[in-house]
Amino acid sequence: MPIIIDIKYAIRLLFKSPKFTAMTLMVLVGGLSISLFTFSFLYSTLYKDLPLPEGDTALSISAMINGDYSLLTPYEFAHLKSEQTVLEEFGVYDDKNYRLSFGDAGKNIPGSNVDEGFFRFSRTSPLLGRTIVKEDMQVGATAVAVISFQVWQNELAASEEVLNETLVVNDVVTEIIGVMPEGYRFPGTAKIWLPLSDDDLNLAADAGNYFYSYGRIKAAGEHAQALLELNSLLDNIYQQNVALYDLEKGKKSLQLLTFPFAQTGGEGTIIFAFLNAIAWMILLLACINVGNLLLARSIERQKETAIRAALGATNKRLISQLMWEGIIITTLGGVLSVLLVGAALHYTNIILHSWMPDGMVFWWQWGMDRETIVMAIIFTLATIFLSSFLPAWRSANQDINSTLRDGTRGAQSKKAGRLSRFLVTTQVFLVAILMLIGAMSAFISLKFINLDLGDDYTNVMTARINLPVGKYPEPEQKIAFYQNLLEELKSHPKVVDVVTNNWMGESELTMDNMDYPSDYEKPKVDVIGTMGKTSTIGVNLLEGRYISHLDKEGSRKIAMISQSMAKRYWPGESVLGKYFKVEINGENEKLFIIAVVTDRLNPRTILGKIDSADEIYISGFQFSNNFQAVYYRIHGDLAQTEEIFYQALFKADRNLDLFYPVQPAMKNRSLMRDVMSLVSNLTFSTGFFALLLALVGIYGLTANSVAQRTHEIGIRRAVGATDKNIVQMFLKQGRAQLIRGLGLALVLFALLAFAFNKFSESMFPVYLYAVLALTVVVGLSCVVMLAIYAPTRRAVKMEPSSALRYE
Amino acid sequence: MTALLTLNNISKKFFTEEIETKAISGINLIINKGEYISLSGQSGCGKSTLLSLLGLLDSPTSGEYHLNGTDVSLMTRDQRAKIRSEQIGFIFQSFNLISDLTVFENVMLPLTYQTGIDKKVIEEKVSSVLEKVEMLHRKNHFPSQLSGGQQQRVAVARALVNDPTIILADEPTGNLDSKNAEAVLALLDKLHQEGATICMVTHDPASAKRADRCLEMFDGRLISDQQNIRVNKPIELVAS
Repeated sequence: MPIIIDIKYAIRLLFKSPKFTAMTLMVLVGGLSISLFTFSFLYSTLYKDLPLPEGDTALSISAMINGDYSLLTPYEFAHLKSEQTVLEEFGVYDDKNYRLSFGDAGKNIPGSNVDEGFFRFSRTSPLLGRTIVKEDMQVGATAVAVISFQVWQNELAASEEVLNETLVVNDVVTEIIGVMPEGYRFPGTAKIWLPLSDDDLNLAADAGNYFYSYGRIKAAGEHAQALLELNSLLDNIYQQNVALYDLEKGKKSLQLLTFPFAQTGGEGTIIFAFLNAIAWMILLLACINVGNLLLARSIERQKETAIRAALGATNKRLISQLMWEGIIITTLGGVLSVLLVGAALHYTNIILHSWMPDGMVFWWQWGMDRETIVMAIIFTLATIFLSSFLPAWRSANQDINSTLRDGTRGAQSKKAGRLSRFLVTTQVFLVAILMLIGAMSAFISLKFINLDLGDDYTNVMTARINLPVGKYPEPEQKIAFYQNLLEELKSHPKVVDVVTNNWMGESELTMDNMDYPSDYEKPKVDVIGTMGKTSTIGVNLLEGRYISHLDKEGSRKIAMISQSMAKRYWPGESVLGKYFKVEINGENEKLFIIAVVTDRLNPRTILGKIDSADEIYISGFQFSNNFQAVYYRIHGDLAQTEEIFYQALFKADRNLDLFYPVQPAMKNRSLMRDVMSLVSNLTFSTGFFALLLALVGIYGLTANSVAQRTHEIGIRRAVGATDKNIVQMFLKQGRAQLIRGLGLALVLFALLAFAFNKFSESMFPVYLYAVLALTVVVGLSCVVMLAIYAPTRRAVKMEPSSALRYE
Repeated sequence: MTALLTLNNISKKFFTEEIETKAISGINLIINKGEYISLSGQSGCGKSTLLSLLGLLDSPTSGEYHLNGTDVSLMTRDQRAKIRSEQIGFIFQSFNLISDLTVFENVMLPLTYQTGIDKKVIEEKVSSVLEKVEMLHRKNHFPSQLSGGQQQRVAVARALVNDPTIILADEPTGNLDSKNAEAVLALLDKLHQEGATICMVTHDPASAKRADRCLEMFDGRLISDQQNIRVNKPIELVAS
C-alpha cells in the first residue's frame, strides 16, 4: 500500500511539471537509444553466431605474414591438411563474382568456388538436388553449379524443372545440380557455388593463388593448442619456400576466428570496445544530467523529506519514495528507447541492404533481439541507480535537524560545489571537442560532396581488371590483352569511346633548365598510364593529339600533360615537342609532350590541396601494367550495358576474373558522396545531441545550485542586491567553468588541427580553423550562459520575501 | 517630528492558484524618524507581511507607500533593491547569514551592492559595526562556528553597516534564549538611543514594552497604536 501511495505521488509530481518531465525523458531516451543502438548494431555485426547449425564452432582460417593479412596458398593448404592433427573438416573456398548471361543481357552475382566438403561443413542440405562432390572437381568434369534460393526464384522463375536447366556462367553453359534453402549464402554473400578444380588446388608454391579456409577444432576448448600446432607447421612450410621462390621474408601464422569476427580482420573487439565506450560515455553524461535534474527536485523538497523523516520514515522508505519519480521516468525512457532503437535497427537494416544488395554477409541482420532487450534492461537499471538512487540516497541522508531548524542558509556544500563545477567543465570540454571535430568532419564531407574532380562520368561504365602475373608475365601479353579488350568494346555500336587508366602514383619531375637543391625539393606529378581516348572520361584535348597504339615500346616515349602543368612550367608557350623527365618504375624517363589536356583532381589526393600535383598521362602501350581501370562511354542510357563489357572480356579471355565488377562509373562516387553525407549528418546530429545534453546538463546543475541557494538569493536581495547582481553572480561562476572547459578543448583542437593540416597538405586555410574555433566558442558560450541564466532568472523573479521563506 | 515613512491604505493579497488570501488590508501608518516601534499580534495576522512591505521585500497590491518623502510603492525591482542596500537594515528571526561567507563577509554584503564605496571605507565600516556588537574578534569565523546569540549579533551588525534610515527586525529574539535575547534587545535599545529608527515585530509583551510606540494587528488590520512609557534598562551586552 505505501508503495502505491508513493507511485501515485511520483506520477502526480511528474504531471505537475510537464516541462521537466519532457526534458528529462528526452535526455534519457537520447542517451539510452544511442548506447543501445551502438551495442545492438555492433553485437549483431561482430559477435552473433553464424546462423547455421553448429555455427558457433565454424571457424574462418586466414593467415598473417609479419602481421599483415594474408591467405593460404594451395600448396600450403595441401601440406597443412596432410600434416595437421587438430582440425577436422579443413577445406578451402574462393569468393568470386560471376556473370550470368541471358542472351544480350546479364547479371553479376557473388559466388564461391568451393570444395566437396564445404556444404557438409555448413551443416546444410540442399532444398533440391545435390551439392558438390569430388567428381565435380576433377579436370574435364561437366561444369555444374549449386544455386541459391534467390537465384532460383528470381532468375529461373522458381522453375520446378530447375535441375534439368542450365545457366551461362562466365560464358560457360553450366548445369544446375542443386538449390540451397532460402537465406543460405554461406560463406558470406554467395548466391552461386561452383566446384574448385583440382587444377586450382595442385599448384606449385609460387603460383600466387590464395584461398580462404575453413575448419573446426577437433577438441573443443583447445583453441590455443590447435593454433600452436598449425602455426608451427605453416611456418615450416613457408620458410622452406622463402628461399626457393624469393618470397617475402618473415613469419607466416594463422588466425582462427569465427566467421562474423573474421569480417573485421580480428579487430572487432577494439572497434566494439571503442564505440561502446563512446556510447556509454554519452549515457553516463545523460545519467549525470538526469541525476542532477532529479537532485534539484529532491533538494526543492528537502524540507518535505526532513518532515517525513521526523515523522518516522525510515531511510529505506525515504529513498524508495524519492526514487519512484526517477524509476518511472527511467523505465518509461527505457521502453521508449527500445521502441525507437527497434525502429532504427529495422530501417538501418533496410537502408544498408538496399545500398549493398549483394555485398552484405547473410548474418548481418539488424533488428530487435533478445541480447538488445537484455542490454536495455541492464542500461535502464544502471540509469536508475545513477540518476535515481544516488540523488535519493543523498537527499534521504541529509541532516534532518539542520533542515528543520531555521539557521544559517546558503550555498551547496563545498564538496558538492566542486563536483558541480567539475561536471560543468567536463561537459563543456566534451561538447566543445565534439562540436569542433564535428564541424571539421562536416567541412571535409561538404568539400568532398561538392568537389569538381575535373572528369565527366556521364554515361560512362567502368570495370577494373588485374591480370594474373602467372598468366600474363610479359608486357607484350598485357598490352595485347588490353588492346583486344578495347577494340572489342569499341566495336559495339552503343560504345562511343573507350580508355584505360592506371594511376601509378606521384613521381618526381626533373626539368633540364631548373636546379633542385635535393631530390626532396623536386616537384611531384601524378602519373597515369592510359590507352585510348581520355575524353571518354571528360579529360579533353586542348592542344596536340591523343595517345594511340602507335606510341608503343621502341618509339619515342611521350606524355600528355595537364593544363596546370603547361601553365606552371611553360607559361605563354606552346609545349608540344618539349620534354621533361619523370621517374617511372625506378627509371628516370625522358618524355616528350604530345598534348595538353584539361586538369583533373586525382581522387587519391582528395585530402591534399586541390591541384597541388599536375597530371601527366603516359602511354599504356609503352609502360604496361597488370592492373587497369577500363572506362567506356555509351550512347544513350546505361541500361543493360554491362553485358557489352562481359561479352568483350570473354572474347579476350574467358577465364578472367574481374577485380571489380562492371558498373556505372558514377555509382561509386555517388555511394561515396552518400556515405559522406550520412557521416556529415550523423556527426551533426551527434554534435547537436551533445549540445542539447550539455544544455540540459548545465541547466540541471545550475538549477540544482540555484535551488539550494534560493534562500541565499533572498538574503542577498534583502540587503540590496539587484536582479542584475544575482544573475551576474551565477554567470560569473559559470564563466570560470566555461573558460576552463573551452580552453582545454581549444588546446586539443589546435593540436588536432595542426596535425590534420599537415596530413592534408593544407586542405583548408588556417583562418578556417580559427573561424571554426571562434564560432564554437561563441555558440557554446551563448548556450552555456543561457543554460545558467534561465534557472537563475526564475529564482530572481521570486520576491525577496518569498525567497526568504523558501524552504 | 518628521515623518520617515507613510503608508496610505496599503493592502496585500496573495494569490495561490485560484485562492485569494488577504494578508493585510487598508493599513494607514506614519513612522517618524527616531521612533522605536513594536508590532505585535497573533500569528498569521500580517505582521511579517507588513514588515516585508516596509522593507520593500514585497510590493503592495494597492495603496501608497512613501519613504523619506518618495513614493516607493510603484518603484521597479532594481530601484527597490537600491533603497534596501542604502536605507534599510534587516534583522531576521532566523538570522539569515550566508553559511559560506565569514562573519566579516556577511556583514560587508550590503555595501558590496552599493557603488563607489572604497574598499578601505568598507573595511573600516564593517570593523566598526562588528566592534559595536562585540563580534570583531570573530570576524573570520563562519556562521556555523557561532552560537545563536552571536549569529544574531552579526545579523544586527549587517543591518547597521549601511547606516540605514530604518532598521526592520522580524522577531529578532524569537530563536534566542533569554540571556541572548536580552543582549540583542539591549543592542537595539542602544541603537535607538543613538538615533536609529527601529520597527520590530515581536510576540513578546516585555520586548514590545521597550519600544516608544506599540502597534497591534489583527486579521490584517492595525487595531491599536499606543505610545509607550519606556522602561529604560541599563545597556549591556551579554556575551555568549
